[in-house]
Amino acid sequence: MLTELETKLLGLMMMVIMLGMGASLTPRDFLIAFRKPKGILVGVICQYAIMPFVGYALAVTLGFAPGIAVGLILIACMPGGTTSNIFTYFSKGVLALSIMMTSVSTVVALVTVPVLLEFYSGQAGISGDFRIPPANVAQVLLVLLVPTMLGMVLRKLNPNVGATIELLGALIGVVVILFLIVTWVPRNHQLLATTPWPVYFSAIGLGLFGVALGFLFARVLRQDPNRSRTIGLETGIQNGPLAALIVTLTFTGETQQQVLLVPLLYSLFIVISSTLITLWFRRLADREALARDAAKLGSRVAA
Amino acid sequence: MTTAASSAWATQWQSAYRVHGINPELPPLSHASLPAFVHERSEYFAGANAKAKAFTCVVPNGMNGSLTFGQVDALSDAFAGYLRDVLRLEAGDRVAVQLPNSLGYPVAAFGVLKAGCVLVNTNPLYTASEMLHQFNDAGVKALVIADMFADKLPEVLAHTPVEHVVVAGVTQFFPAVPNAVVRLVQKVWNRVLPPIVVPHVRLQSAIAQGRAALGGRSAQGYWQGLQPDDLAVLQYTGGTTGVSKAAMLSHQNLLRNVQQMLAMGAEQMQMHKECVLTALPLYHIFAFTANLLGFYSLGARNILIPSPRPIRNLQRAVENYPITWMTGVNTLFNGLLNEEWFVAYPPKHLKASIAGGTSLHTAVAKHWVEVTQTPISEGYGLTESSPVVSFNPISQHAILGSIGVPAPETDIRLLDENHQAVPEGQAGELWVKGPQVMQGYWKQPEETAQVLQDGWLATGDMAAIDAQGFLRIVDRKKDMILVSGFNVYPNEVEDAIAQLDSVLEVAVIGVPDAKTDEAVCAFVVPNPDHPSPPSTDEITAHCRTVLVNYKVPKSVVIRDQLPKTPIGKVLRRALKQEAM
Repeated sequence: MLTELETKLLGLMMMVIMLGMGASLTPRDFLIAFRKPKGILVGVICQYAIMPFVGYALAVTLGFAPGIAVGLILIACMPGGTTSNIFTYFSKGVLALSIMMTSVSTVVALVTVPVLLEFYSGQAGISGDFRIPPANVAQVLLVLLVPTMLGMVLRKLNPNVGATIELLGALIGVVVILFLIVTWVPRNHQLLATTPWPVYFSAIGLGLFGVALGFLFARVLRQDPNRSRTIGLETGIQNGPLAALIVTLTFTGETQQQVLLVPLLYSLFIVISSTLITLWFRRLADREALARDAAKLGSRVAA
Repeated sequence: MTTAASSAWATQWQSAYRVHGINPELPPLSHASLPAFVHERSEYFAGANAKAKAFTCVVPNGMNGSLTFGQVDALSDAFAGYLRDVLRLEAGDRVAVQLPNSLGYPVAAFGVLKAGCVLVNTNPLYTASEMLHQFNDAGVKALVIADMFADKLPEVLAHTPVEHVVVAGVTQFFPAVPNAVVRLVQKVWNRVLPPIVVPHVRLQSAIAQGRAALGGRSAQGYWQGLQPDDLAVLQYTGGTTGVSKAAMLSHQNLLRNVQQMLAMGAEQMQMHKECVLTALPLYHIFAFTANLLGFYSLGARNILIPSPRPIRNLQRAVENYPITWMTGVNTLFNGLLNEEWFVAYPPKHLKASIAGGTSLHTAVAKHWVEVTQTPISEGYGLTESSPVVSFNPISQHAILGSIGVPAPETDIRLLDENHQAVPEGQAGELWVKGPQVMQGYWKQPEETAQVLQDGWLATGDMAAIDAQGFLRIVDRKKDMILVSGFNVYPNEVEDAIAQLDSVLEVAVIGVPDAKTDEAVCAFVVPNPDHPSPPSTDEITAHCRTVLVNYKVPKSVVIRDQLPKTPIGKVLRRALKQEAM
């Protein structure tokens, strides 16, 4: 399990991540986004209808033990991760949409995550010892809203500080995952070696299913391919560090190790699969841009 | 040629000046040269408030850097010192400044002027061949270029007289952390910082060397001898019509035009209090005179936008600063009106906007007034006249579609092909005379003789004057379409099509036609925010309701975007080439 100090460090880094997320937008951005709520709505539905269900379905069909199952459902119920913004940027997606989806899903999480977690844990028949108390989750999310708000205010007061924190937060997002892997993997290589393939399958598959279903859902709702790819990435990429923080604040000892397994495996593999998906999406975006140019009446555009 | 045409409206113009509190006479020239102007204004504003910011550059993510009036003065002095005492340039030598809007621009441009050198404004997006032409034509000895575009240098330098290269970044003079962050992003993420393989000096180091060389002296010694009629700026033009040539603008031309521009806003512009959004590039004469010089003389804060495309790049700047004025071209205003963040929260301190560069579509102007609740005033000018020729007095009741009345001490007339004044109410070529008219084209006596006659400048634009003495540009003389002998002005047709909400942008040109000699052809960009894209039939049907038969486009082409010049003027010539 994580030591006291490591748990504290994790909490601290989480604060910086949320500060950075808050700093990625201004209160006005929020108000503007809600003037045309369709895009946001699509995102929230992907995040809280599709993902938790995928997590639950995987847990049940693969017949996981309660410790593994609750970890899987927890990560599936998480709001969008800030790293999705970096991947969206690199895949030439719609950055503003990605930032807005992450932020809105994080704010909404205060209500949706405890409710969904409780509901799906119940459905999956997870017993008392492995249940995550909804109040715990709400508390963590509420505490994290403070740095988020603070980030927004900082962005408004001093754009230089705000934009720097935004970047720092996104970088720390990756650092935390590395930190968790470095501290957790060596102590648990035994566990990893004996972890059955369905667990790996679910940890990798959750993200991939999320990207695919998010994309398809957006396409069905007639979002253009580029926006749909952004929504797909956003749906598939969850806030892994947040899940880890909730687990470490809820469980100790052997239980913590077990529950932490899927969120950590997910966080590790999502970085790898998102990178590959980003490269692919980027190519698609480039190809579409070229096709648009070719479709134009001649391509002579003077400087 | 006769001057009867102009005097006929003199009384109307005088009354328009009176109504709007515009002084018809310009005050005496307060400075002999631009450097004298920059130096005196900087000292004055720095003295009044040492913390007052003259320039703030804002990049798309909101990161920013600022210079106070005092800093601008000191830094440009040091740069002048570098040019004269380190590089050993002489007064009158040409120095090109090829920078996007950034804090380095005023420092470099003012530094060149303070060195007594001639400023050659150069578009940073120029290709190597365009740079070659311009630098050779002007005989440029030193170049200040943005690091992002330095990859073209090896190709260019070997074949030009350029001996010295100074390199500046977009985030030049930003605080250390934002500067480092943006440069890191540019280098690693965007990969827009090419390695610079030619010998060069960074602007920062040039300034340090210049400061040392000056050793506490001011740069005054370099520019004290300058006379109002000395050449100040070589401003290239004609890139849209053919080979580019330089208008020779003297210190007096520009200083007078600043006075003329300020006369326009005398009632609304307050010293020390204004904040102007500069999204148009400063290397272009409109922003150079209006924003860089005009608003500087008011002690205004200039918000510099390095690149206004995509238009979302302006969002943080509009959000974070109390913009009171903005200058723009039709496409910029139209672009902003199609941004949700702008329409939802238009700048609340805005007093008025100034449109120029190309004709402002009536639909755009109306929509702008509706959204911002402030007047938009269209002016008219050209590079050859520094640029302002005429303007609309700023008022909620501005006459849409008009370019207003001539600037103080500017005379105009409308002539036909035989250089005779056209009868009242008819359109003729607009000729201009005034203190802002250039000295001629650099090393182009024939071209100069074609457009400058007895101090009158031929604009190549067809204009008409209404009963109140207000001017209206009908169109570029050469863009006029001749349909079965009838004159069709593209602007009028564009204005009609732009009324449709489903249309984002439109350009109209004439194409050869077997039956009618020329036929009207419209290129339409659909508005992405509109539920249904316009059909060609719809557009034609709409035109039939507002235009006489021969003006209705014979063909309509729907496309994704229109070719534009760097400041956003639609390039009809490029469309014409495509259509041929």
